[in-house]
Amino acid sequence: MLSFKLIKEQIFKSLPIVFLYFFSFYHFQIPEVGKINLFAFNFQMILIYFYVLKFPENLGFGNIFLAGLINDTVIGIPLGTTSLSYLTLALFTTYIRNATLRSVMTAEWFTFIPALFFSNLVYLVIINKFSNVSFYYLELLQNTFFTFLFYPIFYYIFKTYQELISIK
Amino acid sequence: MSEHRDDFIIAIRYALLKKGAKQKFSLFFLIILSISIITLDKLSPPIMIKARGALNDLVYHVSVISSQPSILRKYLVEKTAIHYSAIDENNFLKNEIEYLRQQKFNNAFLKSENEILKDALFLINNKGFEQDFSIAAKVVLDSESPFLKSLLINKGSRYNIKKGMSVFSKDYLVGTIIEVNYLTARVLLLTDLNSKIPVIIEDTNINAILEGKGKKTNLGLSYLPENYQIEVDKVIFTSGKDGFLSPGIPVAKTYLSKKNKILIKLLADPDQALIINVTNGQINK
Repeated sequence: MLSFKLIKEQIFKSLPIVFLYFFSFYHFQIPEVGKINLFAFNFQMILIYFYVLKFPENLGFGNIFLAGLINDTVIGIPLGTTSLSYLTLALFTTYIRNATLRSVMTAEWFTFIPALFFSNLVYLVIINKFSNVSFYYLELLQNTFFTFLFYPIFYYIFKTYQELISIK
Repeated sequence: MSEHRDDFIIAIRYALLKKGAKQKFSLFFLIILSISIITLDKLSPPIMIKARGALNDLVYHVSVISSQPSILRKYLVEKTAIHYSAIDENNFLKNEIEYLRQQKFNNAFLKSENEILKDALFLINNKGFEQDFSIAAKVVLDSESPFLKSLLINKGSRYNIKKGMSVFSKDYLVGTIIEVNYLTARVLLLTDLNSKIPVIIEDTNINAILEGKGKKTNLGLSYLPENYQIEVDKVIFTSGKDGFLSPGIPVAKTYLSKKNKILIKLLADPDQALIINVTNGQINK
């Protein structure tokens, strides 16, 4: 029988998925400085990296795949590009999770660099080979840099949130 | 060395194939599915185009809904900004109204002073008409004679209409009274060859006589200074030199014709005049 506590628990647990889908549908932007969006970062990548690494039971690969498809549709790039990019990130993260014995935030933060690199590499290769879409490499680099930079902030936010829901 | 490579391969295989806790699909399956979708999207078979179209429609609708909070936020920010700018504008306008009110008093003073001085110099010649006389009349006949461009109105001397009074149609001067009967009067249109009124050209101090040439789109200016070239889009006002018409009544306007020639057209349209106002030379109120 479904109890209120169980429903509440399920809602709290599925919040990362809700965020993943929400930000795939709606591309938010940090308030722009002049005309250049200086602090643009990829929230979905941080979310995927953290949850696949720490709480894989809360974020399924199927959801990651579907969120990628939605993202592709909204942006207007070949279908499956972002899915493959996210799945590459998830693959790399799963490998890190299996290869490491002790979890240290700084180590995880720095392993985020190769994870981002491979993920973006897949993205770039598909865009270049499978579409005529042209984009700014500098912006992608900037975006990747800020995604890496903001990871510790979100690490503590997500960690605190997970601790809070586990206490409840 | 080979042990390290084996470990790496095992870890990758484990990551790819093991579904893990509560995972419904393996990464390997999803990666293959993604590659298939990318390939199909590139090849664009008809079924993929249809599927993409349906997906686009669905995603765009949901995307529109999900962006509503952001739209609301933008709306609220904009409205707040407008509200504050309206307060600033209101303060600015209040100051401007105060300034203009003072200017109005100054103007009234200058006007009365000017009239007193003119009066002292015998420059005002009112010819005995009452001030602020204005009466509406209906056009009963629109004479299209080749000799006289005139209108016949249903008001005459019974209503104190006198010869020489000015006639307005929709706030623009259209002609003068040339014939007064007891119940009717005749208006000589400005387009008539016999119509001649003293005028001044906008942004200049050039005085001239505006003459009719039979057409509302082609009037003439005589007594212009030598070598004076009239410009386009200049309004022609009455100068009041005749001593009857008030100065500053807009009468005609210069324009560029299809043949790139600068012509003068009447601001009023005598053909459309149905109800006209007869005044004693003042601006139509």
